[in-house]
Amino acid sequence: MSAEKINLTLKVWRQKNSEAAGALATYTLRDISTDMSFLEMLDVLNEQLLLTGEEPVAFDHDCREGICGMCGAVVNGRPHGPERETTLCQLHMRHFKSGDTLVIEPFRARAFRVVRDLVVDRTAFDAIIQAGGYVSVNVGGAPDANALPISQKNAEQAMDAAACIGCGACVAACPNAAAMLFVSGKVSQLALLPQGHPERRERALNMVKAMDGQGFGNCTNERECEAACPKAISIRHIARLNREYLKAALSGD
Amino acid sequence: MHVVRRFCGTSVGRKYIMAASGLGLALFLVVHLLGNSTIFFGATTFNSYAAHLHSLAALLRLAEIGLLLFFLVHIAFGVTLFVDNRQARPQPYAVSTSSGGRTPGSRTMFYSGLVILALLLFHLITVHFADDHGAISLLIRRHFANPWIAGFYIFGLAGLGLHLSHGLWSLWQSLGINHPLYNNLLGRGALLAALLIAGLFMAMPLLGLFWDGFLR
Amino acid sequence: MKLDANIPPGPLAEKWQQHCFSSRLITPANKRKYTIIVVGSGLAGASAAASLAELGYKVNCFTMHDSPRRAHSIAAQGGINAAKNYQNDGDSVYRLFYDTIKGGDFRAREANVYRLAQLSNNIIDQCVAQGVPFAREYGGQLANRSFGGAQVSRTFYARGQTGQQLLLGAYSSLARQIKRGRVTMLARREMLDLVVEEGRATGIVVRNLITGELESHAGHAVVLATGGYGNVFYLSTNAMGSNVTAAFRAYKRGACFANPCFVQIHPTCIPVHGDYQSKLTLMSESLRNDGRVWVPATPGDKRPPHQIPEAERHYYLEEKYPSFGNLVPRDVASRNAKEQCDRGKGVGATGLAVYLDFSEAIRRDGSETITRKYGNLFQMYEKITASDPMATPMMIYPAVHYTMGGLWVDYNLMSTIPGLFVLGEANFSDHGANRLGASALMQGLADGYFVVPATIAHYLAQCPRQPLSTASDAFVAAQREAEGFIRRLVALKGRRSVDDFHKELGRLLWDHCGMARNQQGLEKALARIPEIRAEFWENALVSGSGAEFNQTLEKAGRVADYLEFAELMVHDALARRESCGCHLREESQTAEHEALRDDARYSHVAAWQYQGEAEPLLHKEPLAFADVEVSSRSYK
Repeated sequence: MSAEKINLTLKVWRQKNSEAAGALATYTLRDISTDMSFLEMLDVLNEQLLLTGEEPVAFDHDCREGICGMCGAVVNGRPHGPERETTLCQLHMRHFKSGDTLVIEPFRARAFRVVRDLVVDRTAFDAIIQAGGYVSVNVGGAPDANALPISQKNAEQAMDAAACIGCGACVAACPNAAAMLFVSGKVSQLALLPQGHPERRERALNMVKAMDGQGFGNCTNERECEAACPKAISIRHIARLNREYLKAALSGD
Repeated sequence: MHVVRRFCGTSVGRKYIMAASGLGLALFLVVHLLGNSTIFFGATTFNSYAAHLHSLAALLRLAEIGLLLFFLVHIAFGVTLFVDNRQARPQPYAVSTSSGGRTPGSRTMFYSGLVILALLLFHLITVHFADDHGAISLLIRRHFANPWIAGFYIFGLAGLGLHLSHGLWSLWQSLGINHPLYNNLLGRGALLAALLIAGLFMAMPLLGLFWDGFLR
Repeated sequence: MKLDANIPPGPLAEKWQQHCFSSRLITPANKRKYTIIVVGSGLAGASAAASLAELGYKVNCFTMHDSPRRAHSIAAQGGINAAKNYQNDGDSVYRLFYDTIKGGDFRAREANVYRLAQLSNNIIDQCVAQGVPFAREYGGQLANRSFGGAQVSRTFYARGQTGQQLLLGAYSSLARQIKRGRVTMLARREMLDLVVEEGRATGIVVRNLITGELESHAGHAVVLATGGYGNVFYLSTNAMGSNVTAAFRAYKRGACFANPCFVQIHPTCIPVHGDYQSKLTLMSESLRNDGRVWVPATPGDKRPPHQIPEAERHYYLEEKYPSFGNLVPRDVASRNAKEQCDRGKGVGATGLAVYLDFSEAIRRDGSETITRKYGNLFQMYEKITASDPMATPMMIYPAVHYTMGGLWVDYNLMSTIPGLFVLGEANFSDHGANRLGASALMQGLADGYFVVPATIAHYLAQCPRQPLSTASDAFVAAQREAEGFIRRLVALKGRRSVDDFHKELGRLLWDHCGMARNQQGLEKALARIPEIRAEFWENALVSGSGAEFNQTLEKAGRVADYLEFAELMVHDALARRESCGCHLREESQTAEHEALRDDARYSHVAAWQYQGEAEPLLHKEPLAFADVEVSSRSYK
């Protein structure tokens, strides 16, 4: 791993708060090590801005190991940048060339209000989970963990669906700003496990209703979500959500 | 009423409506294509097919009403979804690149839909409701001999092919059918079917334009 | 102040049950009249908030993140231990208890650890019922794997994302209570102070991170579940936002801080590659099962690894510890890596790394087997370093990972401030001087799902229920202090970035208060920290204002607290003149340079009480071991 130094032009979305108008601002960065992560590159930019009396660029991030789902921005039109199955924090600068121009924008959707610069409000996701993304079981009432066998295949598929980190890249990538992949992850996980069955009908109806209520767009099977998902969650789960919804919608109250 | 609201009033419900009406329209296309393929066997066969068809007047009327309903539903929901979806991202991206999921078909669904609608209207006015009491084969032959009309058909049918290339796969996904075992089949099958349907339809104006023996 | 751990009487195995029975209860109808503040919504916080709400309490839950699902519990990879004995391999509650106590080098409380082992089974039941997709065998039963420090297979896992799945389970329970209106979730709020009235914790002051407004919130009890302080070292495996602020402010309000110098350093992390580095990434310890650790025999040898002949490689772990070899415990592996690098034998661009070489394993088992075993880890490594461990030896270096120290709590998880409960990594309770793998998740969930819901009622029932108000002098004063703190930070318009101070502090602690410590180094650190702090308050640069979303300001506040907290850590390290658990005190080692524990003088919990400007006051809670035989570790 021999690090090189590259020079970059950044066009970064700057927006003071949700009410203010935003615009792209241009910065140049010199001698960026290709061993840096994308967020470390933004750290360098911020240090540079700070020391020259400008406001640093606000961006969400936390674990920097690709699991918390906090980071995310659209780089040259692609959520989390050009690498597949990679969050922005795990994207390294060796994937860029000296002289590149990077346009960095927040995840855009009506349901994701811009808080500041690249930071968006994704509480709409929480509202969807609150509508039914759980098994109603109080502490204390659980039977022995091995009482109910679950086939390995179902457990693995449930895990595939549950791998979602809630970053919002699916919404950002979707031409319709739809949240179907996110919703389907949870619905699918709990539809695959027997623990989720007693509430599956209400879950499908309520979560879809909540999703629509939060202002997300409608899925038109563009498959951009799946392609942008850092955890490679398949649209197969969307199909399962559709089935769950159909069954629920056609059955009586 | 709940059920109607669950389908007409929610995103997933509307998706089902689009898929189901799309499936209905696709089936009509196949039937229409099979029927019209008599064109390739000459004027006599084609005219006799048309005559047979018209002898089923009552049934035909019923089918037409059904078809109209499918079209209206598909168009109405398609347009509202399109408008809704544009509003779901009020501030567009400065740079927009595909992450690798979209296809030319999926990208252009609304526009190819519009093209199909234009073709449909033109087709209805100039063929279906044409004030022409001669043999149908003569009408079609006359039409397709006109490069403008034939060209418009070819353009419209290309739009249809594009629309189908996404729609014929997408409808299964919407109906909840997605499994690694047959995904490949569905994906390629959709593409092949789109190519076949649009190709065969397109062969008609092409032949009309370039082959003197068309519908003789 | 006398520390009373409130350990219930009776035989070890019956203590918890007896304690639950003899504790006072609150009737369901009355529970809803109590408001409980939960700060933090990771495993411990989310599980506590959800469970308390299920019981009927009104809960206000706070997180600095945008959503409870972001907490750093999510990053735990390996798994969660439980004494289910599903494998029929001789596991039991007692064995899990024993392993945890021994792993902690006999610096944890027996009663707490035994309870933890008992509750471990209920945790698995609860999580499965929530729909956590644990790994399964073909027959549909839960799968287990083995983990460091244990001879049985008792670790439950969900791929390499166990922490994520358990957190999402707790988060979903919390979401259900939010929907029911029993929990009010206040996200993007950072706790800046604890309010103590008449000696009881009655509320908190938080900053709304989006608007910058300060808010006061009152409750009948306050539960802190704000995680560990590993980021005091700047570079750690913790999330960037993890901080000590909430716990440290509670300390300044009178809660004792226990064993702050107990920090776990994980041996297998991806090494630092430059000054800009913001974070260290953990690689699973399982790599040491097949990798051989070595450095060049000659200091300063900069040849690439494949050019160094076998005879000029130093397999220092295998040489020094012939029976355990590369599988020595975390602390021993970490310490030796640093030792080699300090001697100039470190490899890589920074000289701060050792090789972990798979070539022999590949020759022995074939590349296919090794890929199957470690493929995903190798991919992760390659993603970050652009180097393929199948072709060139991996480079690893130790990194700060977990903090066993934390706010002192009694058996009820209540701190020395009545009404302030502390859960999860934020308390000091169960891991002694070293935490075993797959035990952090277990502790956080035991505290949140089972312990605090049972113990909080006893506290609430004892004190008269006051109407809640934030108008009292104590609230007004606390909010004013927090305002003053923010104002002082925003006024900092110096020339050095906050990160720069943080880096300097981190390096100082790493060098002198890390894996190996000595009197001289610690004293040096103790002298230097106030100087850094003084410069911080003169020369730091904070942009923007307090009345907006301002990440520089957030960071500055956390670093300001670290700059005070670091001193406490060093005091604790100085006072503990013994080697134990994760750290080596150089004055206390055997003739073979192995850690030497000093049970005669240090078998106690060191709990520090804040004394304002004066040095903190040390209280000792003696540790008695009635049910285990205290032994010393040897890996020779």
